[in-house]
Amino acid sequence: MGKVKVLWSTTMRFFATIIMLISVPSYGDFSDNLRVSLDGSARLNKNMAANHTSRIYALGLDTHKVFTSANGDIGYLVGQLYLTKLSNQTPFSSLFNSPDDKQYVIREAHLNYTSGPEWLPNIRVGHFTIPFGLEASIDTNGRLLDYYHGKNLGTKLDWGLGFNKVLSHVEYEFSYTMGGKNEPKKINNSYIFSGRIGSLSHHDFIIGLSFIDARIDNIQRKRIAIDWQYYWHTWGFLGEVAFGKDDKFQKEWQEETYSLLELHKTSLNEQFKFYGQYIFTNREGESKNQQLINVGVSYQIDAKLELSLSSRKQVNTPESGKKQDLFRLQLRYRY
Amino acid sequence: MRIFIILTLVVFLSPMAYADAYCSLRDPVAQIKQLYPQKTNQLSIVKTVDARIRNLVKLSLPSNDLHFSELGQHTLYVAMKNTEVLGYVHVRSEQSKWGLVEIIWALDKNLQIKDFTFQRCRSPKKKVINNKDFKNVFIGKNFEELKTLLSSDGITANNMLLDKAEDASELASVVLRCALKTLLITDILWGEELKKFNL
Repeated sequence: MGKVKVLWSTTMRFFATIIMLISVPSYGDFSDNLRVSLDGSARLNKNMAANHTSRIYALGLDTHKVFTSANGDIGYLVGQLYLTKLSNQTPFSSLFNSPDDKQYVIREAHLNYTSGPEWLPNIRVGHFTIPFGLEASIDTNGRLLDYYHGKNLGTKLDWGLGFNKVLSHVEYEFSYTMGGKNEPKKINNSYIFSGRIGSLSHHDFIIGLSFIDARIDNIQRKRIAIDWQYYWHTWGFLGEVAFGKDDKFQKEWQEETYSLLELHKTSLNEQFKFYGQYIFTNREGESKNQQLINVGVSYQIDAKLELSLSSRKQVNTPESGKKQDLFRLQLRYRY
Repeated sequence: MRIFIILTLVVFLSPMAYADAYCSLRDPVAQIKQLYPQKTNQLSIVKTVDARIRNLVKLSLPSNDLHFSELGQHTLYVAMKNTEVLGYVHVRSEQSKWGLVEIIWALDKNLQIKDFTFQRCRSPKKKVINNKDFKNVFIGKNFEELKTLLSSDGITANNMLLDKAEDASELASVVLRCALKTLLITDILWGEELKKFNL
């Protein structure tokens, strides 16, 4: 209960500060170069296999602020705080306490210092996406599209410190984070050490190499991965292949292979996007591998409103005998 | 529930709140260096492209409109060498037959084109940007001078540009429209603020 009170009070202080800084003219310097979006979404999940329907509602602020001095930019701050409400959601994330819980969820919240000397990398501090695989260069926060960081690595975002830089032909990001996921602290000696080095992310062909060494939720994970993106016309062919091992019981390593292939197509004006994904996971000790297919479509109705649908089906029958069969629909409004 | 109401009121009443804009530099520190190799830092100035700006674009460039992703908050970068202003950098996107083309424009202090490069272009004809004759048509020109390269339909480039564009006529028109919108919007939105750098 105490924890909830502390989080509530911190959140209130955060919002009060933001509101004051935005609305009071005397704080004009802070509102310079500040972008604020209100981001609201309603998501319907229909689990066909279990004949179960749930909903997730999120409303939050997505802010981006560039700090400058007379000599130029110093760095930028990204802050995304969302009030998220579950309705009949099972299973639910560890961030929540019940199928109908509501919690304040911090997505990205970090400061990237960019004005060091040329030889010095940018320094990122805060809650950010783990630099690994496709997710490192494609923002999926708040979307149905997903590259499964959370499922594969134990978390998508974490609190810590990172170093990043874009050079003339390559870009890189390395980070050391605490493994507390949504909380800025270590839990049972948790940590995540990860990094990705890749070709420039605005090119038509992008290739990257990643690694991760982590201990989250008492599971030790080690992975290396290769990811690529190839764009031609309005088509994109993306992939990620990861090899590694997990130690769930602190006594025995189990090897794991994971691969994701995606083909997507956008309309010329990018209002419409269709994608299909094939995901293959093979874990040592499990008699059957897992094969999933995701198909999804999103339509940007106007600059503010987006409708997305997706369907996930399991190709092969798992040991449990129940194939995944999930349909999702989301309406998202950004103002 | 109260927080929902407060958030909604604050953001809806805030003039800064706007949907995300797509076109921005992926990495300003590195990409501005390509166009201004001597720069040591950059200064960001964020402004909002709204319906008023969109109407002004339609008025100055009939038959043209802004893509929905062009509305919202956009950044103009001032390229600096220590405290000296070298020029400005702005990114705009333009729809083409090969999807959206994103072009990084370097402007001098008089709002004339200094240089440009593609941030994203999926057209197989994109190598036209390496053609010096093609690029030189743009360099040193301001909005009014570039506008003379538009044909009477207000959308396609005329022969003064197409003669230098080899077989990339569609892309040449895309680059021209993007240049015109960049110069126009930069002047309307940032022009007043940029005057201090010309003192």
